[in-house]
Amino acid sequence: MPNKILKKRKHKGIALDASEKFVTGLAYVLMTIFALIAILPCLHVVSKAFSKGTYVAQGAVWFWPRGFQLETIRYILFETQFFTALKNTLIVTIVGTFISVVVSISTAYPLSKPSFRGRRPVTLLYVFSMVFFGGIVPAYMVVQMLGILDTYAALILPFAIVQFNMFIVKNYFEGLPETIEESARIDGAGDLRILVSIVCPMSTPVIATVTLLYAINYWNNYFHAMMYTQSTSMKTLQVYLYDLINSGAGFLENLTSGGLTTSSLSSNITAEGLTAAAVTLSIIPIIALYPLVQRFLIKGITIGSVKG
Amino acid sequence: MKKVFALFLCLVMILSMTACGSKATTETKPANTTDSASSGGQQAAPEVPALKGPGNVTLKRLGYNTAFDPNTDINAKVLEESTGYHVEYFMLPAENADEKLLMDISGGADYDAVNVTINQFRTLVAQGALQPLDDLLEVYGQDILNSGHSEDVWNALRGEDGHIYAVPYMYPADHEIANFMVARKDLCEAAGITEMPTTIDEFYDMLVTLKKFYGDQYIILSGPFYQASEANEAWAIPKTITAAFGIYSDWMVNDEGKVIYMTEHENFPKMVEFMSKLYKEGLIDPDWAVNTEATLKEKFSSGKTIICCGNRGLGDYAMPALMENLKLTWDDIGYISALSGPDGTCKYMETTAFNFVTCIPKSSKNAADVVNWWNLRIKDDLHITIGDEGVHFNYDANGKIDPINPIFAEERGNSYWYLDVTSATWGSELWPARVRKSASQWHAFSAVTVNADTNRIEFVTNEFKFKPATEAYSKYNTTLFNDLKDYLLQVMAGIRTIGDLKTFTSDWTNAGGEEVRAELQAYYDSNK
Amino acid sequence: MKQPPANALASRNAGTASPLTRKCLSMANYFRQHWVLYAMLIPGLFFLFVYKLLPLWGLQIAFKDYKMFAAETPWKAITESAWVGFKHFRKLFGSSQFAKVLRNTLVINFLKILWLFPIPILCAILLNEIRCRIYQKLCQTMIYVPYFFSWVLIFGIFYSLLGSYGIVNSLISALGGERINFFGDQGVFRSILVFTEGWKEVGYNTVIYLAAITGIDPTLYEAAKMDGANKFQQILNITLPGLLPTIVLMLIMKVGYILTTGFEQVLVFYNPSVYDVADIIETYVYRIGLGQADFSLATALGLFNAVVAFVLIVGANTVSKKTLGRSIW
Repeated sequence: MPNKILKKRKHKGIALDASEKFVTGLAYVLMTIFALIAILPCLHVVSKAFSKGTYVAQGAVWFWPRGFQLETIRYILFETQFFTALKNTLIVTIVGTFISVVVSISTAYPLSKPSFRGRRPVTLLYVFSMVFFGGIVPAYMVVQMLGILDTYAALILPFAIVQFNMFIVKNYFEGLPETIEESARIDGAGDLRILVSIVCPMSTPVIATVTLLYAINYWNNYFHAMMYTQSTSMKTLQVYLYDLINSGAGFLENLTSGGLTTSSLSSNITAEGLTAAAVTLSIIPIIALYPLVQRFLIKGITIGSVKG
Repeated sequence: MKKVFALFLCLVMILSMTACGSKATTETKPANTTDSASSGGQQAAPEVPALKGPGNVTLKRLGYNTAFDPNTDINAKVLEESTGYHVEYFMLPAENADEKLLMDISGGADYDAVNVTINQFRTLVAQGALQPLDDLLEVYGQDILNSGHSEDVWNALRGEDGHIYAVPYMYPADHEIANFMVARKDLCEAAGITEMPTTIDEFYDMLVTLKKFYGDQYIILSGPFYQASEANEAWAIPKTITAAFGIYSDWMVNDEGKVIYMTEHENFPKMVEFMSKLYKEGLIDPDWAVNTEATLKEKFSSGKTIICCGNRGLGDYAMPALMENLKLTWDDIGYISALSGPDGTCKYMETTAFNFVTCIPKSSKNAADVVNWWNLRIKDDLHITIGDEGVHFNYDANGKIDPINPIFAEERGNSYWYLDVTSATWGSELWPARVRKSASQWHAFSAVTVNADTNRIEFVTNEFKFKPATEAYSKYNTTLFNDLKDYLLQVMAGIRTIGDLKTFTSDWTNAGGEEVRAELQAYYDSNK
Repeated sequence: MKQPPANALASRNAGTASPLTRKCLSMANYFRQHWVLYAMLIPGLFFLFVYKLLPLWGLQIAFKDYKMFAAETPWKAITESAWVGFKHFRKLFGSSQFAKVLRNTLVINFLKILWLFPIPILCAILLNEIRCRIYQKLCQTMIYVPYFFSWVLIFGIFYSLLGSYGIVNSLISALGGERINFFGDQGVFRSILVFTEGWKEVGYNTVIYLAAITGIDPTLYEAAKMDGANKFQQILNITLPGLLPTIVLMLIMKVGYILTTGFEQVLVFYNPSVYDVADIIETYVYRIGLGQADFSLATALGLFNAVVAFVLIVGANTVSKKTLGRSIW
């Protein structure tokens, strides 16, 4: 620690030359702009979710709520199927990510060993299946034949292994120093013990990374979730969202026929506001995952293996 | 260590297996019946599967997308109490509905009843995806067969093999101006327009005046409005306008008795030029091609639009919300009905048609019970669809049903979604009550349809309303129609002009246009 | 865990056998010793076979006239439909639609690479220059966040921003400009696809390059400073060469995946008025296959796409392996 501080002081001691000043300045300006481009649209949506309906309808809401209200959010939370959809998505994401990560690690490990016999054909099989797909309909038929249509399994098992993610893990394993494994082997440890107690702890960054990648994959799955589910109680968040975006007005009609009078609503809730609120609410959980994994991200995400 | 590993592996496998297993329960229900329904014995009592009976089977019924949950709605309970059958309801997504339907049916999803549009039905019949219903109706559906539908209606539900493949849910009104425009009178009057236009020229002048007066402050004319029920109704150009050009359907019959497509109509180029002009002069919503029903209604109810295409469904939310938002009254709302051309032409197609039809996929093992369920529901139609006298409605002096609100709207407001089959008389007896579900819907309906100027507006007979499914039509017409819709949308977005009609026509021919025409011509000739 | 002695014995025996038997023996030996490794492959292979390889059986309908309900189940109908050879391929290659969607696929992806490829590199270099750790993390997090969003969500966000009466158009109009029809104008629509793709993906790619930058030996910079190199020279002579392998690998992969990306984005964003410029192979497959029930034609196009994509991806990986010594597998 003291050493580090010393080093820093020394850096500061050297006068910044012109080019460095320029680059640093550019960095601050450009990155601020990029960050704003990335975040302002989100802010806009969040603001809409909390704004009074009349302002939303007039397009008078920018990046801060106007006429703050929670009615829209409350409506989404308690009057629509948001929680059912959230529950479904959470179950699929958590269970699915767990299965996926375990399967990816256990597949990647043997394939990462240069001496593993059969490594080439198996690897090629994975590469092959990465681009060859039988089409949407045969895939659907398989799911149907297994009898898992309209269940969580249909949203998990077909996506349990993403070849690309598996290769990321495999490449990371290949980059690990051989020597530690060797010494463990000499101590009499079997393959499994080595994987669980030596390789995995050394690979937290990559495991965190693929966990994140898988989680996003499950969380954001719209197309297949739409195709493989049928009942309203199985709707996932993305399907619910897309329906809401496309028929926001329908939700409102339902509201009025559901006994509530128009007058109490229209001033606060609009179709656009409803969409914004649903979007806002579905952003939150996945962002909550970010801090957990972000410290591993940089280390884990190196793309491509380095071969001798 | 190895044990731990083995356990781990097992866990992963078990997780997947249990997930698989959870579904199996619904599938292992008694499936003792044979699906010999297609045997079609002509004499004696037809051989049909036995009933499992109410309470012994759960039926699965698929319908179109709706915002409420059909399983928890009170109407599901009403239906179950009346018929005894427990039914699980499913719905198609709001977008990609055709694709999802085809996927479900082709993938072998186990629905028992599927409520679809007539065109979706024709596609399913052509694919051979449905069970024939003749024998089942004979045995379990006498009340359906005797509900007064003409032979034409039943013929339209036959496949090319002559079997009946669906039961009808008719459009309730024969002469409704279903598509019209709603205008903000307050804004029009401020711009000096006091009368709603009845001719296309007056209409154009109105748009120009509004544009001059308001500039970019408002969207002058917003659309399109797609009617949810009938696919072929979903034109990109409002029928209010097409009427003035004498165009009323995608397939029409000209004076010489020739079947022509919309693009071959003598006035089609004029109509396209008219729409191009509206686009160029900034008189229509630049989002025309992108608008969904939701955005259309949103823009109108928030006061961004002066004139909005729609139907009486606008009365359900958009109009009340608009009036509430901007503190308007009924006097501020005007309607533009079908417009007349310079020569007085104003053709609007009569609305006698299928609203939906309901069919049974081949994969269903409960066909007999589905037909029985339909039969039970049609016997108790008044209670199920409208409610009970004294509670949900009263009879007025003329013996017509007069709904009691709000309880009618609350307890029977959504019953339309559960309609699988209607009797021939439901349109005249029951439906007039439904259109009074809300005051605003009635306001629109009475203004445009009840008080329609029938001297000016000519209702044209729909020559093909009961045409049975035929091969080329089922195979190609959806594509043809979608291409037409896309072309018209591109016109409305200023991307295509009438100059592109040639390309369209050659694509149209390649896509099977002539084959469909031949079938329609044959049908028309044989029915004359 | 008592295997090593037994193994040692076996290998001693193997020493006296013929070469072939020895090979077999050593194989069996290897298997006995490392059976756990093989067991580990099972779950992955299970999923692979059932969900990725089994559906490949359906590819044969590209060469058949698929009649879905010709047999008891649609699956059995696959086998029982009649072979028609290359009929569907001929129809496909002869249609003007095919040329259009192929061109769109290539153009859209080319535009994406052209505009979006350099940005993450720039971002990574600049982010690295931000001294304030907190601010650096903040910027990194902000540009990374959209990566989490689904296309459905992104469509929702941008539709409310860019719609004709969204805030962007309100701004343009207030400044005296013409409102732009972002989603309906053929001239603008591809830019929307490129921009939203960038909005979603730039952060993620930046992190990849950042990771590569952290792998560069810091002493190189110290030495360069000693030699009097200014910041530009340092970036030009140390950072960029250090990033080069990653850059080339990413570029090769982007090119390799040209035919297989962008489906959900286009599906969610497009509408009929922009079909001419936005319809890509996969959306077209989806529309003719499920929208119009022409499964055989759709499968033929899908197969064509898969074959070309396979060649591209394997080719890209080989190039990368040969030139950089780095590869995806």
